[in-house]
Amino acid sequence: MARERTALAWRRSALNMAASGTLIARAAFTADLVVLGIASALSMGAMALLTWNHGRTIYRRRSSTSGFPHHQPGALGLLTGATLLIAAVALAVTIAV
Amino acid sequence: MSDSRPDPKADQHGFAGTAGPPATADQEEEPTDGHRLRRWLASSARRERRLQQTGREPDPRFTFANERTFLAWNRTALALIAAGLAVAQFLHFNLHELRLVIAVPLIVLGAALAVASYLHWEDGERAMRLRQPLRYSWMPRVLAGGIALIALVGGILAVIDRLVH
Repeated sequence: MARERTALAWRRSALNMAASGTLIARAAFTADLVVLGIASALSMGAMALLTWNHGRTIYRRRSSTSGFPHHQPGALGLLTGATLLIAAVALAVTIAV
Repeated sequence: MSDSRPDPKADQHGFAGTAGPPATADQEEEPTDGHRLRRWLASSARRERRLQQTGREPDPRFTFANERTFLAWNRTALALIAAGLAVAQFLHFNLHELRLVIAVPLIVLGAALAVASYLHWEDGERAMRLRQPLRYSWMPRVLAGGIALIALVGGILAVIDRLVH
C-alpha cells in the first residue's frame, strides 16, 4: 500500500505540473508571447508525462525487483530542476504580462 | 574535544551525516555559510553517490514516506507558482505594477520551497541510513510566514490603491 500511495503521489505531481504548464501557456498567450506559450506548453506537457511515467515505472520495479534501489535522488533532482524551470518561466511571463 | 578522536557519528567513509568531509590541516578558519553552500552545490553529484554508499538501506516504507513528503512539498511549490501567475493575470490595481509586488514573491517562495524540499529529502534519507534522528524542518514556518506576509502586504496595497485613486 505504501508503494501505491507513492505512485499516486507521483501522479498528483504530474497533474500539478500539467496544470501549471497550462496556466503559464495561457499567461504567455495573453501577453502575446506566442512562441514562449507554445514552447512552455509542449515542454511542461512532456515533463508532466515523464513524471507520470516515472511513477508508473518505479511502482512496477519496486514490486518486482528485490535489488532495486528504493531511493531516487536523480529523479527527485530532475523534478526539482523542472519546478525551478517552471518558476523561471512563470517569472518571465509575470513581468511581461 | 581533541581533533584526533574519531567522530562517533561518522560512517565508513568518515562523513558524519550532512556535515561533509572533515576539515583539512590547511583550513585554519571555520568556513562561512556562503562557503559551505558553494561547496555543497559543486559536489551535488558526488553527494548522491555518497548517499547510496552511506549507512544501510532503511526500511523501504520510510523511504517511500520521505519521497511522498518531498512530492507534497513540490506540489505546494507548484501551487505557489501558479498562484503568483494567477495574481499577475487576474488581480487588477489602478497602478498596474503593484500586482508584481504580490506575484513575484509568491513565485520566488515557490522556487525556494522546491529547492528546500529536495535538501530536506536528502537530509531525511541520510539520517535514516545512519540511524540518526530526523532534522527539524523550518519549511512549514517559512511557508506560513511567507503566505501571511504576502497576504498582509496585498491587503495593505489594495487599501492604499483604493484610497489614492
